Parts: sequence; structure tokens; C-alpha cells
Amino acid sequence: MSLFDAKFYDFYVHLAPDSALTRFASEAKRYGYSGIFILGPKIDKFGLSDLPGDFSIFSANEISVKPSRLRDEIRKYKDSKNILIVLGGDEETNRAAVETAGFDILLQPAKFNHVIAKAAVDNSVTIGFNLGPIIRLQGEARIREFRIMRTNLKYARKYGLKMILTGDPYSCYDLRSPREMAALAGLFGMTSKEAVDAMSSVPLDILRRKSTDYIQEGIEII
Amino acid sequence: MSTLPTLREKKRYIAFEITSEQIINRSELSREILSSICSLFGDKGSSEINAGLISYDGRYGIIRCAKDQTESTRAALACIYKIRGIRISILVLGVSGTIKEAMEKFIQKLLNKESRPRIEN
Repeated sequence: MSLFDAKFYDFYVHLAPDSALTRFASEAKRYGYSGIFILGPKIDKFGLSDLPGDFSIFSANEISVKPSRLRDEIRKYKDSKNILIVLGGDEETNRAAVETAGFDILLQPAKFNHVIAKAAVDNSVTIGFNLGPIIRLQGEARIREFRIMRTNLKYARKYGLKMILTGDPYSCYDLRSPREMAALAGLFGMTSKEAVDAMSSVPLDILRRKSTDYIQEGIEII
Repeated sequence: MSTLPTLREKKRYIAFEITSEQIINRSELSREILSSICSLFGDKGSSEINAGLISYDGRYGIIRCAKDQTESTRAALACIYKIRGIRISILVLGVSGTIKEAMEKFIQKLLNKESRPRIEN
């Protein structure tokens, strides 16, 4: 059995409210995904009628505010069953984010260090690798992104942080299949096993944690 | 002059499908693939990958690369997102050792699958 037989999910899908979700979903299914997480507007606004079979759509919230307001913002959304994503940035943002329990993914933190890594382990925060800039940028900017990802990967391995991969798609022309994503992740040192886990088992684990039956790690309503 | 069979380099053929807003012509695609590989791996890496567009019909196509460089070629193909302002996405259908097999196993099979419902109608 190949590594790539798992179910794949992509977090961090931006879609304009008027773009055709049905087309995007059928394209994503053809590319080998089993589900996507849409950011921003409520998914009820999209016509959810004729979606392809065994394809699931979840909604996620992106929080991008000043570091001082980040804690309040996370608390506000904590009880909604949406996935919470914080866009990582400078050290202050990352620190404020990982020290607040209750959110799920810290995406592409730029200045990562051991203090943030330890706090992330304590609050079971997943670290996200955004492959969008690698696809779209060139030259110096792309080199910078690669360097950030290399350091993040080093800390994630040392402290056993969970990782996810996303392609940051805005339309169906930005989709990349899971094997291509793994190949791109290989460029900064991720093994294909890690890449597959980052796209299949870790998203499923986050979903399990967000389900209504889940109370705390190890405690669940049966 | 042809190379001795024992000294011939082993190659792999990657079958791909293009999703784009408008049809891209062959020379543009070929140039874009080479420049993407070049910007990602540099001149030395590109010489090792030994890439080339073998065939392309506007939607499906085949790219040649060195035997142990399929992953890097995949990464370079994934980095192509825009040609002349037209948004584009390349989906790799499969990798094979011969052009014939890449054609039959991946592209022909897909075309058959697409044409079958039409016959039923």
C-alpha cells in the first residue's frame, strides 16, 4: 500500500463568496483531496447542494489582529466549533498566540524559538507550513520562506510538534495534488511520511478534537 | 553519433494534465518549465534533471526527466502558476519508464474514461 492512499485535507482555502464552490470542490476531489477548510465567510452562503460525493467542507476562522488583542479574539471564538487559525508573524504575535489555550493552528511563524515551541506543545498547537509563497514567489523572497520553514521544521522535530501543510489556494488554478505538495515539502527537508501525516492524519486529529463528544485529551463522551 | 546502450542515461517520463484559463502553446509551456526548474534548482541542478517537453496537445502532455530526479521535477512543475498572465495548474497523472507506457497507462486511459459516458448517451 502506498503512502499516498490516505485521505487528504487542505486547510486555509480562501474563496471569494461569488466564486463557484462546486467547481472548486470537484477539482479538489479530482486532485485527490477528501475535504477542504474554507476561511472567512460562513459556508452557508455558498450553495452546498450539488457537491461531489464523499467530499467534506468545514469552516475555519482566521485571526489576524494586533498581538495585544489576540488573546481576547481567541477566547471569543474558542467555543465555536470552527477551526481557529492564527497567521504567525513576529515574535510577539507568535508568543501571544501559543500562550492562549484553545486555538488550533499557528501558520508560518517567522521568528520561531524554543520558548514558543515549548508553549505550543503545552497547549497542543499545530504548526502550519504554508507552501503558497513557495509556489508564487521567486528569488530572494522564496529563499527567505525556505529558511523560515527549515528552522520551523527543526523545532517541530525536536519538540514533537504536529505539522500541517497547506497550499493556500484562492481558486481552482492554485490547487496542487498531495504528491506535489510532498515534493515541495521535500525541498526544505520534510520526509514524505511527515508530509503525508501533515495532510491526512493531523487534520483528522484536529477534527476529532473539535467534535462535540471531545472534552479533553483522553476524555471523551462515548 | 548515438551513445552506447550501456552508457545511456536512464530516464523517466511524467504524464501531466493542465488546467488553465486559456490554451497555452507548446513553446511557452516548454520555456516556462525550464525556467521554473532553473529558478528552483539553479543551472547545475537543471543539468542533472535533464528535463524536456516530449509531447503536448493543449491539455495532456509528457515531460522527460532523469531517473532519480522525479521528485524535483514534480516540485518544479508545482511551482508553475502563471504563464503570460494566464493562471495555470499542472496535475501529474503518473510517472513511467517509457513514453509508450506513459501514454497508454495514464493519458489514453483517462481519455477512454471521458469518452465512455458520451457513447452511452
